[in-house]
Amino acid sequence: MNSLNDVWTKRFTHYVNELQKYMRFIFTGHIAIVLVFIVGAGGYYYSEWLKTVDTSFPAELLVALLVGVMLMMSKPVTLLREPDQVYLLPLEAHMPQFFKSALRYTFLSKVALSIVPYVVTIPMLKATTDLTTQQMWLIVLAIVVLKWCNVQGEFVYRYANRGANVWLDYVVRFVISALSMYHFLTQDVVFGVLFMAIAFVYVTSLAKNMKGKPVPYEHFVKVEQDRMMSFYRFANYFTDVPHLRGSVRRRAYLNFMYKLAPFQQKNTHVYLVLRTFIRTDDHFYLWLRLTAISAVAAAFVDLWWAATIIAGVLSFATAYQMKIALLTINSFTMDQLFPVPEQMREAAVRKVIYVFMAVQALLVLLCAIFINPYFYALGIIVFVVAFITERMTKRPTEM
Amino acid sequence: MTVLQLKNVTGGYTRKPVIQDLSFSINEGELVGLIGLNGAGKSTTIKHIIGTLLAQSGDIFLNGVTMQQNMNKYRSSFSYIPETPVLYEELTLREHLELTAMAYGLDEKTLATRQEALLKEFRMEKRLNWFPSHFSKGMRQKVMIMSAFLVNPPLYIIDEPFVGLDPLGIQSLLDQMHARKQDGAAILMSTHILSTAERYCDRIILLHDGRVRAQGTMDDLRRAFNMPDATLDDLYIAMTKEQDANEQSK
Repeated sequence: MNSLNDVWTKRFTHYVNELQKYMRFIFTGHIAIVLVFIVGAGGYYYSEWLKTVDTSFPAELLVALLVGVMLMMSKPVTLLREPDQVYLLPLEAHMPQFFKSALRYTFLSKVALSIVPYVVTIPMLKATTDLTTQQMWLIVLAIVVLKWCNVQGEFVYRYANRGANVWLDYVVRFVISALSMYHFLTQDVVFGVLFMAIAFVYVTSLAKNMKGKPVPYEHFVKVEQDRMMSFYRFANYFTDVPHLRGSVRRRAYLNFMYKLAPFQQKNTHVYLVLRTFIRTDDHFYLWLRLTAISAVAAAFVDLWWAATIIAGVLSFATAYQMKIALLTINSFTMDQLFPVPEQMREAAVRKVIYVFMAVQALLVLLCAIFINPYFYALGIIVFVVAFITERMTKRPTEM
Repeated sequence: MTVLQLKNVTGGYTRKPVIQDLSFSINEGELVGLIGLNGAGKSTTIKHIIGTLLAQSGDIFLNGVTMQQNMNKYRSSFSYIPETPVLYEELTLREHLELTAMAYGLDEKTLATRQEALLKEFRMEKRLNWFPSHFSKGMRQKVMIMSAFLVNPPLYIIDEPFVGLDPLGIQSLLDQMHARKQDGAAILMSTHILSTAERYCDRIILLHDGRVRAQGTMDDLRRAFNMPDATLDDLYIAMTKEQDANEQSK
């Protein structure tokens, strides 16, 4: 049957296009430049450190754990979609073919993520162990084989158990992979191969379990949606992703904040915006992330002018993004019909921004108190920058 | 007394109008059914009444004012139940009701009494602190219905209300509509469930190609189509055939 292969090819092309669309933004954004600097600085410190490291350093263990984690993370890329639960149902018998293509892609796209960290650690292994160059490259081969087992393993586990207790599978595969890696790194090839064999047995025994069970569409669709969601969320740091649905959490520990909007008609929008901001992960984590970075910088950067610039820039970024996020509405919501003045939503957003930027200012001020004699000025700067940013930012035009 | 009046309303999404020269009115204590084929302009008509679309020409009076004259009075005079539930994923059921009460200027005591009665009627008492992600389609619909009835306005605009509701839910909704009618509220309901419309509506407006094809009581409609003894289903099908014949003759 050819059509399922066509389905895969079509989806795959679409998927790659989607990735490219956002990758462009990610690599051309200013954050990419920052990343280059961080990688550069990290590389420099690493090479300096290698000059001083001594042979008692537990490099083998560290590399085994690191590569073990990377090997463990082998979520299948199935590209299944919600309607498949209905439309692909009659093709159940042909699905193994579809999954074969899916797993091939999963393996090819993820194997590098295990090899690259290992290659980065090769200079360290050279400095601390007596592995020969040839052995080191043979270990790459071992990583490839182990990755293949992990990709198959995670898939068959999820298939056979419909995703129940998947952490169990993660633990098992991590332990097997890390042990196998450790023995290879300590030149104990017999045990390395032995654990590799255990990985094979694990996969084949699960695969037996999977026989006769229907395709767990619901689970795989969920996995796929979560995976795409995390990519979109990542891309959202660099550019605006239109179809990003924010997930919602109650965060009951912040319930006291709702006292800011007591039961009165004039507080209608504050009531709504406060809850939207606190409970929507995207909005709340945006604030939390930038506030945390600003606070850490305030606590450790002891050049007063550098601390000032960092606090100011982050305050601008927080206030600006909060305003855009809270005022962008792409679809009909009931509050558009409320018998209250239309400016009330913007006023409510302003209020929420002021409150949360005041909290950011306070946290930055407290973190700076021990190292910065002008710690209070830092707090004032955060709030003033946020205030001006909020005032100057135009309401986003409707999309 | 007239609650809602449309006078020669023409409008749509783009310059090409979807509804043309639409005129009808709804009185206090009246349940009026808005019936038409897919694409006849029912939803567009409703969007003009609730004010998310603006008419290219003509006026819509609600409680004697247009939206341009008095936005707050206009908006507080109706509540709207959309075809597909539009909920805030970040608000619990309780908060949906509370937000609605705040927006429409209810006091907390009124909210408490009305909320209790509605929760009981729609059997949702135990779900007060749930987020919509845990609700079924019918429950989401019930949240919208309860929010609308909480306000107790002079006009209800209800778009295709029965889809997704269980039989008990449908009965509760009909009971509520009946009670509000008795209290003098006007209701405009768009639906495809013709037997229900025939049974419960005081008057029916048949929309066709963005125009009012016929309106009035069932007897008026039967006369307009020259089909005595016809049910609303018969009339609806007659209208469909008329449309097909027109399209073929074009």
